[in-house]
Parts: sequence; C-alpha cells; structure tokens
Amino acid sequence: MTMWLLPILGLIIGVLVGSAVTFQIPLIYVKYMSIAVLASLDSVLGGIRSITESHFDGAVLLTGFFTNALLAALLAYLGDRLGVDLYYAAVFAFGVRLFHNLAAIRHQLLLQYRTKKNEQKR
Amino acid sequence: MAKQRWAIPITFVFIIMGILLSLQFQAQNRISSELSMQRTENLIAMVRDLSEKRQKLAAEILDLNSKLRTQMQSDQDERKLFNSLNEELIKVQTVTGKTPLEGPGLNIYIDQTMPILYVDIIHIVNELWAAGAEAISINNFRVTQDTSVFYAENEHSMSITVDNNVLTYPISVKVIGDPNNLEKGLTIPGGIMDNLSLYKAYPVLSKVESLTIPASSNISEFYFLNEYKPPEKPVATTPTTQQS
Repeated sequence: MTMWLLPILGLIIGVLVGSAVTFQIPLIYVKYMSIAVLASLDSVLGGIRSITESHFDGAVLLTGFFTNALLAALLAYLGDRLGVDLYYAAVFAFGVRLFHNLAAIRHQLLLQYRTKKNEQKR
Repeated sequence: MAKQRWAIPITFVFIIMGILLSLQFQAQNRISSELSMQRTENLIAMVRDLSEKRQKLAAEILDLNSKLRTQMQSDQDERKLFNSLNEELIKVQTVTGKTPLEGPGLNIYIDQTMPILYVDIIHIVNELWAAGAEAISINNFRVTQDTSVFYAENEHSMSITVDNNVLTYPISVKVIGDPNNLEKGLTIPGGIMDNLSLYKAYPVLSKVESLTIPASSNISEFYFLNEYKPPEKPVATTPTTQQS
C-alpha cells in the first residue's frame, strides 16, 4: 500500500497548488474545462486499472491523459460552434468508461484480495 | 522495480489532476454566483422578485419619511415648549430666590454701635419693598416670600435672626433696584431713617453700581397648595332635568 503514498501526495500537492494559484478560468470556458476534467479523470482511472491488471504503460497513460482531455474539450467546443451538443456525447462516453474502469478496478482488487487470502489459508 | 515503473507517471498525472480539479471547483463555485450564467427563466423571476421588493421598499421609504417629518415637527414643538418652560422657570426662580442675582442697588450698613431691633430691620425691608426693591438680602440671607425676621436671646445677649440664622455685626442689607428711589424711600422726612435717628441709630446708605445677591438656601415645599379653579356655572339644562 505504501507505493500509493507518492501519487496521493501528488494529488494533495496538486489541489493545494490549484487553490493557491490566483488564475481563474474564464466562465465561458468552464464548460469545456469540466469535460476535460472528466476525460482526465477517466484516463487516471484507466491507468489505475492497468496497474491492477499489471499491464501498465506510462506512455499510454500520459498521452491518453492529455489527448483525451484536449480532444474532449475541443470536441465540446466544436459541437457548440456547429450547433450539435457533442458535449453530452463526451459526457456520456467518458461517464460510461469511467464506471467501466471503476468496476474493473473493483473486480481486480477483489480478485487480488481473495487470492491473497487463499494463499494465507494454505 | 515494477513499482517504480508506474509510480512516477501516475504521480505526475495526479498532480495535474489535482490542479484541474481544484480550478474546476473554484470555477463552478463562481458560476453558481454569477448572474450571466443563470437561466433566463430564473433571471426573469429574480428581476420580478427584486422589482417587487424595490416597490415595497420605496413605499416604506415614503412612509418612513412622512413619519420622520411628523416626528421632527413634534420634536420642534417640544423644543419650543421646553424653551418657553425653561424661560418661565428661570423667571420663577429669579422671583423665588433660587438663583443668585446681580444688579445696581443700595447697600445699607448697620454697625454694632447702633441700637437696632429686629423690628427696625423689618421696617427697613418693608420700606425697601415699597420703594421698588426687586431683591433683598440681609447678611447674605436672601429675603424671599417665606423669610422671617425675629430675635433670639440667651443669657448674655439678644440677637436678630433671619430665618433662624443669627445675624452677626456688621449687618449689611443689600437691595437691587433703582438706587435713587430706594434711597429716597428710606430718607424721606418722617421715614424710617428719621425714626431711627431718634434712637441715635444712623445706618449708612451707599448706592452701588452693581451688587450680587446670593440664592436662597431655603427649600420651600408645598403640600397643601392647590390652584384654585372657580367652579363652573351650572349648565342651563340642569333645571329641566330636575323637573323630570
């Protein structure tokens, strides 16, 4: 469990930096920012899932993180320009993936926990 | 080794994640308080609500303003009343001897060598009142409407008292009024000065430009006094009621 200390510390530092920074997102872009956050959240969960399934690849995670966030924001912006609410499509897609990832992580953790228990029993 | 492989990218991603999340939180907080991000229907409702409130408040302002005006009016009236009452009070105090007074007048100096009785003092005071005195004091005892002049005696001597205060010589009677009139009042032929000279008493009269008379130290309280109001005349209808 100690190996998770560093990422959690990173998260806390990030939150602190974010709240300390005086920069404010213009209110018009908040909508796109929110979809980007959703996309990055999905990427992070995907990364954690790949760790639990032990086929983690740092490059995939990083590229996925940034491209997903940017593309999601861009797509939502484009949708607004075109008059199509692609925003909701992105929310739906990332939402579904997010829950998929969460479920997979849960499954994997449960599996690991059970195998450990079985090993101890023996 | 497996741990190090993923720890660094994940941490990096988490840091960025944290920044994004907190920024987004702040932005969302701002949105909920920003008018330009509200729905039109809500804005319309808000405008209607606020204009209603404004109307109510304007009515209240009018109401309160008129109240304020009436209050100010009554305050002014009260102040006028207070001022006139105060003036009245000062006048009354001047007359009743509650305030020290100052003005031109006469000083009557009576030495120990002069054979003077308390009756003489009373005569002098009476004569002074008759001559237009406005305020009198005897040895700094103010003569008011309830002042009594009498005598007190013990085994050795007899002394004059004013309000039961023994007068010590020299006695000086101070009077405020027209000095000339006062002096004439005392010195007319056959007047009090002539009378006293029969007993070889010669009080010294001196006109003074300005003298001060102290306030009375007596506190007069009235328990039985009531203003007299003449009874109202019976109304013309009373006889008819008696008849029936």
